[in-house]
Amino acid sequence: MDNADQDVTVEDDEPAVVQLTGITKRFPGVVANRDVHLDARRGEVHAVVGENGAGKSTLMKILYGMYQPDEGTITVDGELVRFHTPKDAIDLGIGMVHQHFMLADNLTVLENIVLGAEPRRGIRLDYAAARRQIRELSDRYGLGLHPDRLVEELSVAARQRVEIAKVLFRGARVLILDEPTAVLVPQEVDALFSNLVQLRTAGLSVIFISHKLDEVLQVADRITVIRRGSTVATVEPGTTTSRQLAELMVGSELPTPQTAESTVTDHVELAVTDVTITSDDGPDLLRDISFDVRRGEIVGFAGVEGNGQSELVEAIMGLRSLDAGRVVLGADDVTQWSAHRRRVSGVGFIPEDRHRQALLLDAPLWENRLLGWHSQEPAGGRFWINPKSARAEAAQIMTDYDVRAPGPETLAAALSGGNQQKFVIGREMSTQLRVLVAAHPTRGIDVGAQAAVWDRLREARAAGLATVLISADLDELLGLSDTLYVLFGGRIVAKLDPADVTPEILGSYMTGATPAEAGPADDPGELA
Amino acid sequence: MTRLLGWWRRMAPTLVALGVALVITALFILIIGENPLRALAALFDFGETSVAQANSIGVWINRAAPLFLAGLAVSIGFRMGLFNIGVEGQYRIATVVAAGVGAALVLPAPLHVLVIVVAAMAAGAVYAAIPAVLKVTRGVSEVISTIMLNSIAIALAAWMVRVPFVDPDLGPGENVATRRIAESGQFPGLNELFGVIGLEEPRRPVHGFVVVAIVVGIVMAIVLSRSRFGFELRATGLNPFAATANGISSKAMIIKAMLVSGALAGLVGLPDLLGSAHRFQADSFVSGYGFTGIAVALLGRNKPVGIALAALLFAFLDRAGPSLQSEGIPPAAVIIMQGIVVLSVLVVDEVARRGMLRREERRARAQDPATVTEEVAR
Amino acid sequence: MRRVLKYAVGAAGLALLLGACASDDDGDNGTTSDNGAASDLSVGLAFDIGGRGDRSFNDAAAAGLERARDELGVDFQELSPNPDGSNRGELLRELADAGREPIFGIGYAFIEDMDTAAGEYPDVQFIRIDGIPSDHDNVAVMTFADHEGSFLMGVAAALKTESGQVGIIGGNEGAVINAFAAGFKQGVEAVDPSIEIADQRLAAGEDASGFRDAAGARVAAEAMYDRGIDVIYTPAGDSNVGTFQAAADAGKWAIGTDSDQYETVGDPELQEVILTSMLKRVDVAVFDSIAAFADGEDIVSHAYDLSDDGVGYTTSGGFIDDIVDELDDYKQRIVDGEIEVSPTE
Repeated sequence: MDNADQDVTVEDDEPAVVQLTGITKRFPGVVANRDVHLDARRGEVHAVVGENGAGKSTLMKILYGMYQPDEGTITVDGELVRFHTPKDAIDLGIGMVHQHFMLADNLTVLENIVLGAEPRRGIRLDYAAARRQIRELSDRYGLGLHPDRLVEELSVAARQRVEIAKVLFRGARVLILDEPTAVLVPQEVDALFSNLVQLRTAGLSVIFISHKLDEVLQVADRITVIRRGSTVATVEPGTTTSRQLAELMVGSELPTPQTAESTVTDHVELAVTDVTITSDDGPDLLRDISFDVRRGEIVGFAGVEGNGQSELVEAIMGLRSLDAGRVVLGADDVTQWSAHRRRVSGVGFIPEDRHRQALLLDAPLWENRLLGWHSQEPAGGRFWINPKSARAEAAQIMTDYDVRAPGPETLAAALSGGNQQKFVIGREMSTQLRVLVAAHPTRGIDVGAQAAVWDRLREARAAGLATVLISADLDELLGLSDTLYVLFGGRIVAKLDPADVTPEILGSYMTGATPAEAGPADDPGELA
Repeated sequence: MTRLLGWWRRMAPTLVALGVALVITALFILIIGENPLRALAALFDFGETSVAQANSIGVWINRAAPLFLAGLAVSIGFRMGLFNIGVEGQYRIATVVAAGVGAALVLPAPLHVLVIVVAAMAAGAVYAAIPAVLKVTRGVSEVISTIMLNSIAIALAAWMVRVPFVDPDLGPGENVATRRIAESGQFPGLNELFGVIGLEEPRRPVHGFVVVAIVVGIVMAIVLSRSRFGFELRATGLNPFAATANGISSKAMIIKAMLVSGALAGLVGLPDLLGSAHRFQADSFVSGYGFTGIAVALLGRNKPVGIALAALLFAFLDRAGPSLQSEGIPPAAVIIMQGIVVLSVLVVDEVARRGMLRREERRARAQDPATVTEEVAR
Repeated sequence: MRRVLKYAVGAAGLALLLGACASDDDGDNGTTSDNGAASDLSVGLAFDIGGRGDRSFNDAAAAGLERARDELGVDFQELSPNPDGSNRGELLRELADAGREPIFGIGYAFIEDMDTAAGEYPDVQFIRIDGIPSDHDNVAVMTFADHEGSFLMGVAAALKTESGQVGIIGGNEGAVINAFAAGFKQGVEAVDPSIEIADQRLAAGEDASGFRDAAGARVAAEAMYDRGIDVIYTPAGDSNVGTFQAAADAGKWAIGTDSDQYETVGDPELQEVILTSMLKRVDVAVFDSIAAFADGEDIVSHAYDLSDDGVGYTTSGGFIDDIVDELDDYKQRIVDGEIEVSPTE
């Protein structure tokens, strides 16, 4: 694709606050960035989009002083600079909000914000001055922060605002936001965007990294696309569609999560009945959850995170004991079965947090192949494992599921997120499964890998797999599910037909409101 | 060639660390006003006569065997992030029980030894089961409970020697001890083997139990790398959440790991007991292997081969204690040296591990971005 | 496997090389001293756990050694065991291999190790301080009537207590410490049977850790003083200093063991609370043995007791000047056999 025409729009009379020119960064054997050009002007939101592994993170790490480029220059306010550490970048007003928050849960908002940059009066911390400054920041940019609340009490979105305030507190004029919307629900995304608009209005520059194209189009003033380590175009949202942008990213046309004709059968493979999990201090985590999953059916669960999804997954997988209710797998009541027994009976599991729950990061891929299936022949066994066979199977998964890695001996930690996820899915799917529990199967992975994951789920569905799909990606839920439930406050509040529901209606259910226009499933009690 | 390179890559950090430790120790010896070169020479001084050298090698082996077993016992827990500080108490209890059971029975030779070994392993495992059960049922930290149980073990062992297992025919003024284990329950020494390989025979028993220790080491190496238990142990240690999410019950693993660790701990006192002491007496009972075993396991990176090398190194340094003193180096220098070795290995190791991960990441990335487009195009 | 072998050979080569260097410069060593006087005797001594500087048992032995050096002009080498005491036997062999003779082992823990080593070096004279008699001709055992000395300590404690309560803090429950305790209790009872005696040990059984547990001794002593006990007898090696500290805090008495701890404690504040010490003349035993050996006499086992002042009490500080007569009276009655002190309770 030729992008020369779109580059013309970059020229402007106002000088860039930050400008990267001809940046190249090589790692042994790899060029992570090649001839990258990027500039951020005063008062703009500049999005950087690209697939995982395209080189976005490397670029941002260069801009934030964590890596030094092999070639190319960085200028700040027209002055040539060289960053050796993030401290150098911070000193020149460049701040970064990481995807994984770096906050201390048991400290207050104020303490977190000033940590490492404490205003002092003599040797004492000047709390009054800090509190005043934070209030000012909060008011000016609409962050809505309460300096004395503990971070552990805050929602994910509020924590993100604390991270933003932390960067602003250090005098940042350029904010780098790494995948800020990955952890947010739609309403929170809107709030974040209005914050960004206020930052822009105040003359700050925001560099916004994402692979969610709609969001990028909605909030960015300009968009730079990175593909295979190089910047391929800088475009303006007014003149570009989401589809064009995606094509720039992947260099070809896009897949969508669209399930073909229904493959749902009558045979119930997984039946969850009246499942309740109580909590010691608060409302029930799950209350009277009942649903069936049939062979060839994908049952989706929508909901704002923290409304019982994790508990539901744990209940099905046998990782949490129930206070009431039953889980039936085929003809067997498995309520009392151990997690291991359920797995080997044919329940596959794609956990929501890959790093935490699905992988042994410091172990080679062949050992990760064994995880969960280590008692299954031929790679595993009742008493002995067979590394040779596990290596062969890992290699097979790498081929079948297109996992890009040097070989089965590679440590899982060395893979990109998308490849890790493809490996996990490959591991689960390459066994004879009856039920698959997939939580956020495409979270944090790139468009290419996402398409591959969806394909796999659809194939398995066609082959008769009963799938429980939990996701925060509404398009994914609507596109893949045969039946869609909405969880709110640990209850099923709606059962919807994905064919005739819009993201807006779904969004309303997810926030506990009843949609104004009567959806097809206004009365969940009747339907569930 | 590549295997040699791989071996070098794994060993290089340790060798560097040993070098660093040597330099720091030399500085320390300089500070106390002695000559480091003479200290180094004393380290490698195995004695003048061939008998003295054979004796010295015997001491080295006798010291290394229990350290190896202790390190192995500790490493089982370490592999899954379980800190069994209680090896010390477990082997004390196990040794008393082994001595008591061994003295109470007279059986044909190999069977007698086997019964003693099984009794020791069972006693160690039972004593290790206490902290395991406490942790699984009540959430008691195994660090605290095993430390407490070490103190209890001293009193319990003292009681067992005094009451159920006491030798009724003790001489006047003699401290209490268990009865001697009959000849059939003694483990033959390796002394004659020295003659076979052309060395002088050491004048005192070289504990033949070291052979059992080596066999146990090999078995554990296989179990850890090839068995389902070994995999579950490793998985739980690497990522307890992922292990649980994938059907490995952490409670079951705690119990299993502690039982195995305790059973191995039960073997720690046997080289001495079966090789030369033949009875349990608090005065001559060597305590402290359980604690030193922690350092040995750390130094050996929880791998049987590494633990064997670490035990040999520690025993080598211990063995040199008297000759160092002859050079005017205080006996504490050996302990300081051991500490420095462990610290420098840990530090250098961590640096090397990070380097290795970065290299892996680059290799993986090298495979990745180049092919992204084709995939989507399909 | 071949690789491993190669490295092993390399390492062995290095070891040999260094070993060769080592043998170039032996002979001279740190603690050797030639003080003129004519004796070609070269004595070896292996300490108990804790080594030189324990201000008690080991230092008493060292004092005898130094006196022999000064008065007889002998040369000596001393070694300390590692903390777990596992290399006591090695120390004796190291000394024997270095040609030292006689070779002392300080403490009853040398029982088995010395007997084994004596079998290996049948021509070398070994001398053990404390412990049971040996079957080997070349092992002489010097024992002390700890119970007799402790009896006098019991008398002193009974005469000095104002509360009518005294205590003993022992290192462990082994036979040696039991003899100390037994003698002490008999001494107290001889003066006043109504005095209460508390008996506490810092370690169970024969565990030696109680001799290196000053913190434990301090805690135990504090508790005793709090309960009204005003004199504590403390046969616990290195741990004694803990008892002395507690005594200083409480302003009450403690009784030391083995050496004259008033002289050895090295802290004026602690000196003030050391009523007396059960003197165990390890120094005398060491010196006499060396002297006899130097004269070419046979070294024979000997049990030191009150009659030959092998055990006794100290008057440093002058705190027991008022009761010296009574102590000497009891001492004489024991020497005369009028009072029989039992080493067991």
